[in-house]
Amino acid sequence: MAGGGGNMESGEPDFQIAPMIDVLLVMLIFFMTITSAQVLRVDKNIRLPVAQNAVRKDSSRSEIIMNVRWEPLQGRAVFTFQDRTYFSMADVMPELRMAKEAAQTQISASQNPHVRVVIRADRECPALYVSQAMSAAAEVGIADIAFSTVNRD
Amino acid sequence: MKGFVPDEIPVGGFQIAPMIDVVFVIMLFFMVMAGAVRVENELNTTLPGSTESSAATDFVDEITITISENGEVALNDEPFDTPTSTDLKHLRDTLMRLKQNADNAKTVSVVTVISEPQAKYHRTVAVLDALASARIENVSFSVGED
Repeated sequence: MAGGGGNMESGEPDFQIAPMIDVLLVMLIFFMTITSAQVLRVDKNIRLPVAQNAVRKDSSRSEIIMNVRWEPLQGRAVFTFQDRTYFSMADVMPELRMAKEAAQTQISASQNPHVRVVIRADRECPALYVSQAMSAAAEVGIADIAFSTVNRD
Repeated sequence: MKGFVPDEIPVGGFQIAPMIDVVFVIMLFFMVMAGAVRVENELNTTLPGSTESSAATDFVDEITITISENGEVALNDEPFDTPTSTDLKHLRDTLMRLKQNADNAKTVSVVTVISEPQAKYHRTVAVLDALASARIENVSFSVGED
């Protein structure tokens, strides 16, 4: 883009449009990149709790994502795992075991040492159901747990 | 931008001024979007387990935080903040002091968060957030009996 020279015949430097467009395009690409990189992978039915001191998501490790949705009218929690809905954590266990085996296969390929479970639970959900998701993770041998939060309401 | 008028405007030629206008508008849009976007972060914990060891173990500062069904938070059975408090400032300050004392004494702070089964999950996250702000890393979470 750049390549415009100045017209110094009158002694005054001309307004150079080409470098300005260069800068504008670079800024545009920068803001486009950071906006698209922060796209929220949030199920609209789940309102994540707010935490200001949470750390950035570690995307370098194999992870198993477990959604815990709260249905206040029915007074029940719904577990969503790999696009399937379950009403009891016991029903999730076979799928969870298979997911862990699949994640471990990825580990051996990429030399990534740990698999973790990311629990994405609704803020209004009783802690009991989050605990059930943690117990399920423990049962398949995963001790590393992360709770998903958002930085603002 | 309106002040930029080229000497000769070729008919059907490439117009630079409208292009810059459009780029400005697109850039403004992405700048505003970048500020308003919600980012998904995480609070990490490790489930407690048992290990066999013949070596001597160091003493640790063990802290228990309980969360009741109405949202009340208690540190070692002493209530902190109100049940509706979102930032848990009193608890946060106390945890920071405890962490400072543990660091000075070169001991490890170990915190167990015990929530009542029907306590709201956001209350647990508020406590975990307070622990994260105090830089206490050895945290485990469990749900008590009914």
